[in-house]
Amino acid sequence: MNAAAKGEAGTWLVSGAAAVCLAAMLALLAWLAFAGFAALWPSRIVDLRLADGRDVLGEIVASSDEALAVRTSERDRLGGGYVRVVRSMITARSEPEDAFIVALADGRHLFGRGDASVAAEVQRDSGSPDAEETVWPNALGFFGRAGLFLRHAGRFLATSTPAPAIAGGVLPALIGTVTLVALMSLIVMPLGVATAVYLHERRGFAASLVRGAIANLAGVPSIVYGVLGLGLFVHGLGADIDRWFFADRLPVPTFGAGGLLWAALTLAILTLPVVVVSVEEGLARIPPSLRAGSLALGATEGETIWRLLLPAARPALLTGLILAIARAAGAVAPLMLVGVVKLAPALPIDATFPYLHPSRQFMHLGFTVYDAALAGPDALRGVPRAFSAALLLVAVVVALNLFAIVLRNRLRERYRALES
Amino acid sequence: MSVNPDTYGAFLTSSHDPALTRRRHRRDRLGALAVQLGTAVVLAALLSIPLFLIASLVAWTPLPEGAWAKLGTLFAGTVKAATFALLVAVPLGIGAAVFSASFASPRFRGWFKPCLEILEAIPTVVLGLVAFATVAPWLKGSVATLLALVVAVPALLLAGGFAFGARTKRIAGWLPLWILPVLIAVIAILVAASASRAPLIAVTTPWNTLLIGLALGLAAVPLVFSIAEDALLLIPSTHVRSALALGATRWQALVSIVMPAARSGLIAAVVLGASRCLGETMIVLMASGNTPLANFNPLDGVRTLSAELVLGLPEAAPPGGAYRLLLLAALALFVLTFTLNLLAAQARARLRRRADRGALA
Repeated sequence: MNAAAKGEAGTWLVSGAAAVCLAAMLALLAWLAFAGFAALWPSRIVDLRLADGRDVLGEIVASSDEALAVRTSERDRLGGGYVRVVRSMITARSEPEDAFIVALADGRHLFGRGDASVAAEVQRDSGSPDAEETVWPNALGFFGRAGLFLRHAGRFLATSTPAPAIAGGVLPALIGTVTLVALMSLIVMPLGVATAVYLHERRGFAASLVRGAIANLAGVPSIVYGVLGLGLFVHGLGADIDRWFFADRLPVPTFGAGGLLWAALTLAILTLPVVVVSVEEGLARIPPSLRAGSLALGATEGETIWRLLLPAARPALLTGLILAIARAAGAVAPLMLVGVVKLAPALPIDATFPYLHPSRQFMHLGFTVYDAALAGPDALRGVPRAFSAALLLVAVVVALNLFAIVLRNRLRERYRALES
Repeated sequence: MSVNPDTYGAFLTSSHDPALTRRRHRRDRLGALAVQLGTAVVLAALLSIPLFLIASLVAWTPLPEGAWAKLGTLFAGTVKAATFALLVAVPLGIGAAVFSASFASPRFRGWFKPCLEILEAIPTVVLGLVAFATVAPWLKGSVATLLALVVAVPALLLAGGFAFGARTKRIAGWLPLWILPVLIAVIAILVAASASRAPLIAVTTPWNTLLIGLALGLAAVPLVFSIAEDALLLIPSTHVRSALALGATRWQALVSIVMPAARSGLIAAVVLGASRCLGETMIVLMASGNTPLANFNPLDGVRTLSAELVLGLPEAAPPGGAYRLLLLAALALFVLTFTLNLLAAQARARLRRRADRGALA
């Protein structure tokens, strides 16, 4: 075994590590895309004839070597129609063209065979006044199913529901996430930019203290920020605000319970280091000649910063904002302590004055993923829905990050142009 | 960059108008005040974390019975989960960093790094979901397959290097892309071959520490990678070139010159990876089973400080003993991660100082 061969083997080993990282990332994204879309793709209805003479009509939702789990008509309640069918009992299996599925507004599914009049009768018998849709999926071709899939996806994105973990759309969670992140950006951007400017302009003890705090607290786990948000904001500040301004409503808390404002503040502290570091980096990249030129022409320090340095660092500001948003959109653990709920009675933003309701509890896409997968009453529905919500969340976060990466590369080229 | 020439004109003429000059300077002072105020708020907010946690220690509420034993169990669980995660994150992260810094072609690096940045950006709740709902049911019956993969993949790579290494020099900068399909095929074959067998190794629960190690480890890989790669890239390439000129292979130059020189940076990567794994919440919460056990068996479940905080705090009322116990847990987590971050920051700063002085190797 000579040194060259040993070296080649080592190179292959570290290449393998890189390959495993790539494989894991690709597998993760591919599986998310598959599982997220598959949950919304219309499934076929099967008709199983069993050895004991029974007839099972429904969708296969899980299968193992010995048995199938079939969701049949849920006549009484959501999640009340699951049947376990042992494979050896099945004598005949068919996918009849005339099988239909009635999706009721409360999330229940009913199955039957026949034409529209039979379906209408099935729906009338269910005791539920309105059906969301009645379809004959087995009779549909690929494009028909794709259309149905698009309709399901649209409904998933754009409707709200009383049982977000098992049925309907995630619109309130989407709105909650967006409102939260927007409010957080409004808080974190001015503070972060001010701090970055301060660090850029000043040296000395105070600056190094701020720098040290930012560098070392950036790595503190997000859950600790959540504890701070709960202890300091909700139980401390919130309780005080209630005592001073909302005393007439006590003991029902207004700001003394988790809510949008406290969650936004917590996330703002969590994302401050990201913003400060990236804005400061952007300011540091600006050639000193620009600044010297501005001062030489008679501009004050403040005018130089406000009219020259900050506009020149605009892409860095944007990068910081995007990275902060991406980090905040993915942070779930701290929110679970400061006001996220599985079902909020009202949106944090609506058409009644004062439009934004900072004390309201809110729903969040990331929490919906957790809740649907682990805490839902119907796991066979919840887990696929969790994958759909996760896909949505990842799509948003990855798109934001890609945007930030592209922006950062542009930024580098731009400064190279400035320097030459 | 375009600067409006009119603006310059305004600056020049204004100096002749004392009232305007005064106004401009007043605005300047106000702006400086706003910047200082903002910085003060930021500093107060950041410092409030340790101050709040330490202040809550002073508040005197008796702890519930068996509090210290519970904290000890949680602490042991946290360390256990992080240890198994590091077993995944360190070889993958540092291996990928070594490849990217020393062997990869610049174009491969150019998109490999963003790939790992995207992996880092994936919310941990999503990793937790995949671990909980997809990997756990598979791993339950396939612990032996996983172990076989852990042995087989490196062995195959080493064998491949010995057999084809000399002939693949031209593609060495893109080697991971050539290995990737083979790797996927090997994994697929092993997984398919063991699919219908009875499990050789029985697990206590599908949501065990092995699973946590895989998911948490994957979450920590990008961090370990980026810190380690930064450290390796700090080492001047002249060292490597002189070693190559003296007849060393690239691998020898890496192992005997670059890695020892970058040692403190590599240690910082491991320490920061550990800190990340210790504090991670969602993956552990979703995929660990949350069973408070103080043993080191990877096939058992685990419960960590972070998961305890999420599960316990919403129910605990502020002045009570249970609440204080949870704040103690948060403080323990804070002290642990803060110390590790501080150590890692110092190690990295030392390496950077030495690189700036040109005193490396």
